[in-house]
Formats: sequence, C-alpha cells, structure tokens
Amino acid sequence: MFKELNPLLHSELRLGVMSILVSVESADFTYIRKETGATAGNLSVQLDKLSQAGYITIEKGFNGKMPRTTCRITKPGIEAFKEYVEALHTYITKK
Amino acid sequence: MIMENRELQDKPLNEKESMELITRMIQNTQHRLERGAGIPMLIWGYATVFTTILVWATKTYLGNYRFGYLWYLIPIVGISGMLLRKKRPKAVRTYIDKVVTYIWIVLGGTGFLLSVTSFWSFMWTLPILFIIIIIMGMGSTLTGLVIESKPSVIGGIIGMLLSVIQVLVQSYDVVMFSFALAFVVMYIIPGHILNYRAKKACLKN
Repeated sequence: MFKELNPLLHSELRLGVMSILVSVESADFTYIRKETGATAGNLSVQLDKLSQAGYITIEKGFNGKMPRTTCRITKPGIEAFKEYVEALHTYITKK
Repeated sequence: MIMENRELQDKPLNEKESMELITRMIQNTQHRLERGAGIPMLIWGYATVFTTILVWATKTYLGNYRFGYLWYLIPIVGISGMLLRKKRPKAVRTYIDKVVTYIWIVLGGTGFLLSVTSFWSFMWTLPILFIIIIIMGMGSTLTGLVIESKPSVIGGIIGMLLSVIQVLVQSYDVVMFSFALAFVVMYIIPGHILNYRAKKACLKN
C-alpha cells in the first residue's frame, strides 16, 4: 500500500532544506543558500512555510553588525521527515 | 545516478530524485572541513612543546626546581591563543562538532585537574607527564576517529606509545624530550595536515 507523501516536503527546495537540517544541530541562512543554490528570496519563502508548519525554528540575531539567521529542525520536523522517507520507501520498493 | 549540484527549485520530485537529493544533502554536511580546522591543535601543541623545552632548559642550566611553575604557561598560552584567534560563528554546527567539544571538555578538564593536583599535592606524586600524554593521546585518537582524520588517530596512538618511554627510562632529559615529541606527533603534525586539507577543500568549493 502506498503511503501519501507529505506535500510540504515533496518539493525539491524544501526537501533539500530539511535534509540539511536533519543532519546538523543548526545551520545559518547563508550556508543553506550555498548548499541549495537557491536565491535569497525563494529560500526565505520556503523557510517561512516550513517554520509555519512547525518543522523548523528560525532565529534572527547579529554577528557583530551583520544580521544572522539560524535555522534548526524541530521534533515534529524530524518526525515528518522520517515519515516522508518511510513513505518514499513504499514507492521505491513496490516498483 | 547522483543529481548534479544546481539551484534547487520549488517543484515536485519523483521518488528516486527525492532519495538522491536527501542522500546528497546529508553527505555534504558530513564531509565538510572548515578553514583553520587544525588551529586549536596547533595552539595547544606549540604551547606545550615550547613550554616543555623552556622548563627543561631552565631546570638544566639554572638548576632551580621553582621553574616547574613555568608549566602554567601551557594553559595561559593555550587559553589566550584560543580566545585571541579570529573566529567567526560557525555557519553550520554538526553533531560531530558537539561530540568533539565534549571530548575536549572532559579530557582537557581532567588533564588540567590532575596537573594541578600533582603540582600541589605533597602526599603523593603522580607520573604526571606520562598521564597527560595518555589523556591527550586519547583525545587526539578519539577526535581523529570521530572526524575521520587518520593523522590524528595515528598521531594519538604514536604519542601514547611514546609515553611508555617515560615509564621505562628514568632520565629527566629523555622524559622531557619524549613529552615534547609526543605533542609534536599528536597535535602539531596532524594540525598542519588538517589545515592544509581544509584550505584545499575550501579552495575547491
């Protein structure tokens, strides 16, 4: 039986962001942008969507005078990612 | 087939592409070397080696046991070096960073505590240089295993083997020089190799 894929994670950029955050304690905006190759505007929009769903937290601070945004995955985010990967397996193994 | 690095878009993927993307993103976070990764090892390595030579030289040529207080230069220089080095906040903090930090808090703290105890205790004496090499060698080996740095693993093991000299040979000169050599092998050489590799990795990116 195929499990439904979470539409919030079934998007290339948001899945890329979640994959980064699930394997680290925290990552800042510039690092995520560099790893995903996304534009700043597009990445901001996607991070907001993930934050509103409760999958990540976004902390805004300063590094000296430079603004710094740090992202962390949450427990619900980890659970959602786990379920997404399990659902993917049902598609891959059945084919 | 591994997906090439390109801009990720807000578009759906098929199942295979999803798994490949997850794998690639996770692998990228694990195999990451930051510029200057070896600097802490170099700070503590050089501080220890120069202090050891200084203590040996002053005791040998001036003969006053009070020069033992010069050992405190190691934490003074080491901690000052760590505080003074230019350090930007890390762009990404991995769980490996956390493990390595905890290794050094525990082992470094233990080494410092034993050194102070040995120095100030009049009731019992410890073969403190031998113990310090063992503790710091464990730290180097464990760190090397966690960050997958062969020079740190090999350096740590060789350093700990060098500590055996301290037990077998009762010569002040040999004990002091083997102590300095252990830190060259455990910290200075791996620190330079790590820095070189990190610089190469950063230039590639």
